[in-house]
Amino acid sequence: MIQTTQLTKHFGEKIAVSPLDLNIESGTFFCFLGPNGAGKTTTIKMMTGLLRPSSGTVCVGGIDVQKDPVGAKQLMGYVPDHPFLYDKLTGREFMRFVAGLYQVPEDYYQTHCEELLEMFEIAHVGDQLVEDYSHGMRQKLSFASCFLHDPKVVIVDEPWVGLDPKNIRFVKDFLKEKTRTEGLTVFMSTHTLSIAEEVADKIGIINHGKLLQLGSVEEIKALHERPGSLEDIFLTLTRTDEEVPAQ
Amino acid sequence: MNQVWTVILMKARIAGHQIASVRHQSKLKVGVLTFAALALWFAALFLFDTGFGWLIYFGGQGGGEFVFGKALLRQSLNIFALSIFVLLVFSNTLVAFSTLYRSKEVVYLLQGPISYTDFFYARFIESVSFSSWSLAYLGSPMMVAYAWNTQANAVFYVAIVFFFLPFVVIPACLGSAITMLLVRFFPRMNTLTIAVMGAVAVLSFFAYIRTVIREARFSESTTMPAILQAMDRTQSPFLPSHWAAQGLRMAGDGNYTEALFWFGMLLSTALFVVFLAGRLADLIFYSGWSYLMGQDKQRIKPMDKGALAWLDRVLSPVREPYRALFHKDIKLFWRDPTQWSQFAIFFGIMAIYIANIRNTTRLYENEFWRGWIACLNVGAVTLIVATLTSRFVFPLISLEGRRIWILGLAPLTFRQLIWQKFWLSVSLTSAFTVGLALLSGYMLALQPLHYGLTVYSVLVANMGLSGMAVGFGALYPTFTEDNPARIVSGMGGTLNLLSSVAFVIFLVALQVLVLQWKVLGLFHTEQQFQWALAAAVVTITALGVLCTWLPMRLGLRNLNQMEL
Repeated sequence: MIQTTQLTKHFGEKIAVSPLDLNIESGTFFCFLGPNGAGKTTTIKMMTGLLRPSSGTVCVGGIDVQKDPVGAKQLMGYVPDHPFLYDKLTGREFMRFVAGLYQVPEDYYQTHCEELLEMFEIAHVGDQLVEDYSHGMRQKLSFASCFLHDPKVVIVDEPWVGLDPKNIRFVKDFLKEKTRTEGLTVFMSTHTLSIAEEVADKIGIINHGKLLQLGSVEEIKALHERPGSLEDIFLTLTRTDEEVPAQ
Repeated sequence: MNQVWTVILMKARIAGHQIASVRHQSKLKVGVLTFAALALWFAALFLFDTGFGWLIYFGGQGGGEFVFGKALLRQSLNIFALSIFVLLVFSNTLVAFSTLYRSKEVVYLLQGPISYTDFFYARFIESVSFSSWSLAYLGSPMMVAYAWNTQANAVFYVAIVFFFLPFVVIPACLGSAITMLLVRFFPRMNTLTIAVMGAVAVLSFFAYIRTVIREARFSESTTMPAILQAMDRTQSPFLPSHWAAQGLRMAGDGNYTEALFWFGMLLSTALFVVFLAGRLADLIFYSGWSYLMGQDKQRIKPMDKGALAWLDRVLSPVREPYRALFHKDIKLFWRDPTQWSQFAIFFGIMAIYIANIRNTTRLYENEFWRGWIACLNVGAVTLIVATLTSRFVFPLISLEGRRIWILGLAPLTFRQLIWQKFWLSVSLTSAFTVGLALLSGYMLALQPLHYGLTVYSVLVANMGLSGMAVGFGALYPTFTEDNPARIVSGMGGTLNLLSSVAFVIFLVALQVLVLQWKVLGLFHTEQQFQWALAAAVVTITALGVLCTWLPMRLGLRNLNQMEL
């Protein structure tokens, strides 16, 4: 469902993403891990068509994001860490706007909008201006609007910011359920390793723009002969030269 | 539904909610703003009406049926249309950069399945409305006054409405196209190419302005034909401003067929350039936008290198925390060329004009005209300052945005903060305006008393205008907005602009009154003149102090009461 081929990004002389080859099957929950500045957001921006790759391609559902951005984006939903919402619209008006932007048929919108607002527990504030929402409510509205056009691929950038434990559990279960029952593909960038360990079918660890590991949690643990937590492996893989203990 | 329509409807809803939110604002505030806006509109109408009446009187009768005054007034419509056209191209170039590239909304819209052409059109409408609403507001009294003075028929008023939209759309398309081309190609050029191209563009522009001014060499006996000839030189049948002015004149004269022809020219060109701009967006917008996003990641600014490396040395006598604040504000200002380029262009044009006064006219040899020119120069310079403080100083506090807590938690009082912004504004504007006032006085060979009063009133104006911009900025902050153009188009920004213009008009009127009465011999004794002069100086000073102190005090009180 998501395929990157030799995907590369340079910023001047700095290499933000080295040739990256990923093939994420439909119905996979993929977690993209890496320290700050590792190249996660740059990769996401290239996947969502916000940034042009220096070389290589990204295909979503078989559509090249650069060649047919509109077609590819129609299949995608994106939830950023700090979602942009129109403060002077109400929650329902925002959903209506998103439906228009994604050309969602009217009858589909009518049945799904309320369903999503109910599901994310924001139906009761649906007629309030977004500027009055808490950060958690804004995040939930962002999720609800992301699913309005029934995307086949959802790209999520550190979604847990501002969510309380109950909502973290809900979002986690919701996404996992969607991958199992509807074949949704989730590409999630996160720093919360325990969650990644819990939900991911496949994990990619990136540092300094290079993909260091790719596989299921079990495969990665077996590779490193570490039956313990993913955190240990992550820290070992991503530590800098200065952090390596002297022999 | 079309995606462009979706965005327009969404914007209309937002506008509706914003208008509805006025109900929750203080009634006094809304009342004062409404009154001030209406008062300014009628004051502008009065000024334009009087000014046009004076132009007709100044022009006088020509030979036979020809009335020089009316011809002069008609030509002034051409000049007005051309000036507005150029200003709109310029302002749209700046506004388009914010609306097409820098706004957070851009990222949101672009991650959706919207084509670049549709994205451009959706944002373009916002760009047009931001850059042209003030023209509708301040241009309408001028057009009404023009209609009164030329005895235009009722169709003229309808024609204004119809000509307005295509007239503002064409420069908006040109401005947006310039921005897209600059973003696409400019960052890829090497520094030397950019420097050479920039220098050529700036020098050509100023050379053109200088030529127009110098060629308008008037003598007493041929003043009117010379003025008309000079005005005519700025016109070209290829310019949309010319079509708009011609069309409106024809509509006013009852020549509807020709008016319709010019309207057709304007409308078809507007539609064509809208189409072309959409195609251009499809071709080059994405590559420019993507490159710009990448540029953000590779800008390295070592503290001791670059154009502002000297800043530390210059600011070393200033004590902390002011030094840190000056440092931050000056660097932010410098790193946003949309800000200082406007300073450079406006004051550059003024400097060329003032430096060429003696080549332009012999009117300065007459004491009466010399006084007028000096006062009008003060008016022009301070009005430019009023526009610039409204545009750049007013949003300074709001632009601290969500980062205001950094200042709020620092061992720094808001009093220190707003005074720092005030002195920053005064020192920046004074560096230009006092220099221009000195140059103007020297070129006009003003008498010491007149010279002193001119420079003094410019200095007081700088303080009052800075005080109002900082004070109103603190009184009506918009911390949720990052786009300065939107911050200034709110209630507070409008109130600040209106107050600033009123302040400048009062200041200049007072000066004109005393100095012209003296020249016209309306004071019976020298003592009477001295008393009037002293009263004018005291009033100017008191007004300057009031305009500095009151808004600053209200703004400070608002910041102190605010919950961050």
